[in-house]
Amino acid sequence: MTGYLAFLKKEIFEYAKTYKLLILLVVFAVFGITNPLVAKLLPEILGSLVADGITITMPKATAYDAWTQFFKNATQMGLILTVILFSGVLSSELSKGTLVILLTKGLSRTAVILAKYTCMALLWTASIALCFGLTYVYTHYLFPADKVSNLPFSVFCLWLFGMFLLAVLLLSAVLTKSSYGCLLLTGAAVVACLLVNIIPAAHRYNPISLVTDKMGLIKNTIAVSSLFGAVFIAFLLALLFVSLAVLIFRKKQL
Amino acid sequence: MDLAMLREYLPLLIPLVILQFALGITALIHVLRHPAYRFGNKVMWVIIVVFIQIIGPIIYFTLGRGED
Repeated sequence: MTGYLAFLKKEIFEYAKTYKLLILLVVFAVFGITNPLVAKLLPEILGSLVADGITITMPKATAYDAWTQFFKNATQMGLILTVILFSGVLSSELSKGTLVILLTKGLSRTAVILAKYTCMALLWTASIALCFGLTYVYTHYLFPADKVSNLPFSVFCLWLFGMFLLAVLLLSAVLTKSSYGCLLLTGAAVVACLLVNIIPAAHRYNPISLVTDKMGLIKNTIAVSSLFGAVFIAFLLALLFVSLAVLIFRKKQL
Repeated sequence: MDLAMLREYLPLLIPLVILQFALGITALIHVLRHPAYRFGNKVMWVIIVVFIQIIGPIIYFTLGRGED
């Protein structure tokens, strides 16, 4: 337990010193501010581009558009950036040989993997909370009258999918021991999820439904209960992947 | 964009500008104080960090920053 806490502290300190923490927080903060702004200004920008004689009627921007921007940015750019930043989670320390020193001094391998996952989870939670908070405040400022439904649950789905993806990333990192292999395997896992989604019956239980169905949730065209299966499976898989990562890493030749 | 509109968007623009500058200045200080890069030289990185907003510093910190 002391090993776990010490290693967790070291991990957080490392992310701060390598500026990864700064990048993550600034990017998510910028997304958080620009989401409502882009939603608000898009009709005007398009309107100013139109030449004389042609009229485009754009519907007036609503809070719904701001949240569309939020979920689009957070799931695409946000998750991609997170995965790329964390891709060296194991490989950099293995290639430099700094981890081996700690392990030979008696730090347990389980503690290493668990501390790494905890640290990634903490950073992801902080980033998504920051992005959500800023979008919420500014959406309220720009579109005071509008209401969207199921907002907390859809953000929770996005957060859970991020946690699931980080578990996949950690397992890939343990399996491949290189940052490119880790990225490749994580990408392959997402593609596999997308492919499984082709089967209609699997859609309810596929973790990727957590990020593909959010717009329906906000529009209230999809019932919250239809995603419970996917939430449960994503949670189970994340747990399974982290445990697998621990088990494999304990046996792994470094 | 007229003045009234600008005033409405000011609470959004000010934090955005502060964030951009904070990131840019942090990266600029790092570029100047650690002259070892994975590739490229000092002039190139200063230009990238100063003139490409947000993306420039991110590229520097993720790809260009040398080992300390």
